[in-house]
Amino acid sequence: MIKTDVIIIGGGATGCGIARDLALRGIPHCLVEKGDFAAGATGACHGLLHSGGRYAVTDPVAARECYEENLILRKIGRKCVEQTGGLFVRLPGDSKRFREVFLRGCEEVGIPAEVISSTRALDLVPNLNPEIEEAIKVPDCSIDPFRLCMLNIRSSELRGGIVYTRHKVTEILKSHGRCIGIKAIDQSTGDTREIRGNIIVNATGAWANMIATLAGSEVPMTLVKGSLVITNHRLTNMVINRLRHPSDGDIIVPNEAVCLAGTTALPIDDPDNLITESSEVDTMISEAGKMIPHFNNTRIIRAFSGVRPLLKSKKADSHEISRGFQIINHKNGMYSIVGGKLSTFRLMAEKMVDTIMASFNLKKPCETAEIPLEGQEELSGYPLAKRLSNMKGIVCECELVTRQEVERIIKQTATRNVGDIQHRTRLGMGPCQGGFCTFRALGIMNDMSVISPEQSMKMLRGFLQRRYKGIRPALWGDQLREEQLVEYIYLGILAMEKPE
Amino acid sequence: MSVTEYDVVIIGAGVAGLTAGALLAERGFKVALVTQGEPTACLSTGCIDVCSRGSSPLSGIHDLPPEHPYHLVSEKIIRDALNYFQAAMTDMGIPYAGGAEENRFILSALGTLKTSCLVPSTMKEAPQDTKDSVHIITFKGLKDFYPGYIISRRRNTKSSVYDAGVYSTMSIASHFEEKEFFEKFIIWLEKLNIDEDKLAFPAVLGLESASEIVDTVSILIGKPVFEIPTIPPSMPGRRLFNGLKGYFHKKGGTLYWAWPVAGIEKTGKVIEAVTTPSEGRPNSINAKAFILSTGSFVGGGLTATRESIIENVFHLPVHISGPRETWFDSDYFSLNHGIGRAGIIADSTLRPAGSSWENIFVCGGILADTEILKNGCGHGLALATAHAAALSCAEYLSR
Repeated sequence: MIKTDVIIIGGGATGCGIARDLALRGIPHCLVEKGDFAAGATGACHGLLHSGGRYAVTDPVAARECYEENLILRKIGRKCVEQTGGLFVRLPGDSKRFREVFLRGCEEVGIPAEVISSTRALDLVPNLNPEIEEAIKVPDCSIDPFRLCMLNIRSSELRGGIVYTRHKVTEILKSHGRCIGIKAIDQSTGDTREIRGNIIVNATGAWANMIATLAGSEVPMTLVKGSLVITNHRLTNMVINRLRHPSDGDIIVPNEAVCLAGTTALPIDDPDNLITESSEVDTMISEAGKMIPHFNNTRIIRAFSGVRPLLKSKKADSHEISRGFQIINHKNGMYSIVGGKLSTFRLMAEKMVDTIMASFNLKKPCETAEIPLEGQEELSGYPLAKRLSNMKGIVCECELVTRQEVERIIKQTATRNVGDIQHRTRLGMGPCQGGFCTFRALGIMNDMSVISPEQSMKMLRGFLQRRYKGIRPALWGDQLREEQLVEYIYLGILAMEKPE
Repeated sequence: MSVTEYDVVIIGAGVAGLTAGALLAERGFKVALVTQGEPTACLSTGCIDVCSRGSSPLSGIHDLPPEHPYHLVSEKIIRDALNYFQAAMTDMGIPYAGGAEENRFILSALGTLKTSCLVPSTMKEAPQDTKDSVHIITFKGLKDFYPGYIISRRRNTKSSVYDAGVYSTMSIASHFEEKEFFEKFIIWLEKLNIDEDKLAFPAVLGLESASEIVDTVSILIGKPVFEIPTIPPSMPGRRLFNGLKGYFHKKGGTLYWAWPVAGIEKTGKVIEAVTTPSEGRPNSINAKAFILSTGSFVGGGLTATRESIIENVFHLPVHISGPRETWFDSDYFSLNHGIGRAGIIADSTLRPAGSSWENIFVCGGILADTEILKNGCGHGLALATAHAAALSCAEYLSR
């Protein structure tokens, strides 16, 4: 049994941010996550660090928070934020009135917004639709959500924070009506771990109500699915937004070698069963194609959906529900922190930890806005320069990942899950989506005896099913051709049978 | 425009195209075969799956749904096609075991028993059940083969690793053709004192002379030896392609490599020529008849767009299962994907049904309703329909 002060459930940006804040204020804590870091909405978003422009008209409070956090993250997270800048582009037929409201909104919030001509915009982003009327330049950035979580956790671990990933909370322990700890099951071994603490923070996003229910409480939420597509190359170096009321398919974000475009907004019930429809993919491509025409004939490598855990609202259009956040005191030793967005994760963590400090009667102020994220140099991913320096023993041809790098991650993290290798090296993130290299990575894990032969087979099957879910809505052209080859390899050459 | 005149132009250098080409060439027709590049046969296991669904290939074919293109071909032609293939490959020094009467298994790199019909002689000793104990030799740094997957299903399996000094399928295969390397390897192998019933290798035992290498190892070690096909690049697939290509040349056919068809010339109901882009002006090849054997999506015969599916050379009508939502089943492993039925519907003369062209014949993976993975019928169907298309084409040319 482990004893600590604060138990954080959820390893998304919010949970990891809370762990860092607690660490910097010297509060012992333990974070428990059922998957890998950034497995929920954090990892299933655009990776946009908002300038606030998107909300300047509809939600000025969220807009101001976004802009302030944008300035802070650019300062403390130099290596995981790419300062791309963003454009809001107005297409022929888009309301001129919205442009005025937008500019006024930005001015009131204090977001720098510069109107530029279409010629200037095309100079900045040559792939833009040449028909655009004009553009407004804002300080949008792109951010790597997974790396962001890892860096926050780094600060926590350096100060004695305990972190368990792939541990699912099965029980909240209570005594005299108060939460005193949790039981969590290790998803790879099946062992149960008991952790005791004085305060439990429920930072589980779309799963918040499920966790709250374990403690006999509830969190009223509206779950809204947002779907995105990924292109196989980078069509723009700036974030491109449509200058109109928030709507489907109005944003394109460059991230590393690819672009993400989205999103949609559809209410759902079950965050564990997300399906991206072909019709959503078509909508996003045709909308993104209006801003960057190449979208219509660029290879889409995958589509995916995330869940926005929004506060319960009566508003019919989910694009209109507030992106603000809320801390709920369940008055039984558990707090839930819900709503908000990736861009404001640090602020959410600060407010949460302020609340915890008050309940402990402690006074140390928050420092997360001043101290740069530690370990950015080593944890800046697996940059291209490094990948090109060693072309021997490549196991993932799309992303140039070597056997050596895969072995290093396996040794370093002692992982038994191939997803952990994918997140840390980009293995399997390219056009074939792991069709070749996952077979190899699992083979290597078995060679190194971290998983048994039976586990490697089982994981290969599970991987193929997950992979298929992501690519199925985007299968045509070259991606369909590649998929036919991968299917031929596994079901033909390797004669893999249907799982029971 | 530079013009060359042939009796037949075949488009696509896979199993179907090369077979149809050899058949027509040996009947004295002037045959050109044009190809964009290597066919998907190079990616395959090299095995000829005829129909893996039934107890025997022919009864399996009998039970296929009525629209399946196998039903366009008589049983006699299917038998002739398999016999012709075996004779041709024996002639080229790449013998195949098996026959039309029964299916047999090969061991896959995941340890499953994969059903096939004609198999390269290097795989004929593959176990037919889970009883035989197997010792697998693998190679240091070979990224496309992991014995662990096989061990997960066959607990009576052991493995040893040999450091060949090179790490890719292709380079290990070419080393096996060198005397010095081979002798050193055998010394190492003899020292292992293998106890298991059979000795297995990933399919890297040479390119030109694999069957002799397998026989030699077997004699020296005193145990049955067999190869396990790997994921691409596949040596047995490449041997199959090289064999058929050599046979086509031997029969007098001409191969135009890196010759993607970009356009056609036509009059009335007859195609007169195919063209390819080249520096300055397009090249063109004229012929009296054309055989389309460009394969399905992987081969490049068909291309899917968001809305429809296109046949890339003649823009023939493509049979599809319905809108894009119907192309892929929600279950990855179901083998019931609508996309497996996409292709060209042919009539009994192997001409594209519903089109007015007199001199186009279609064979192989581009045909509709094949469901190759579900039925286990890839190269077998290619051989059978290539025979039928070649006969039909010969009859047309002799008119």
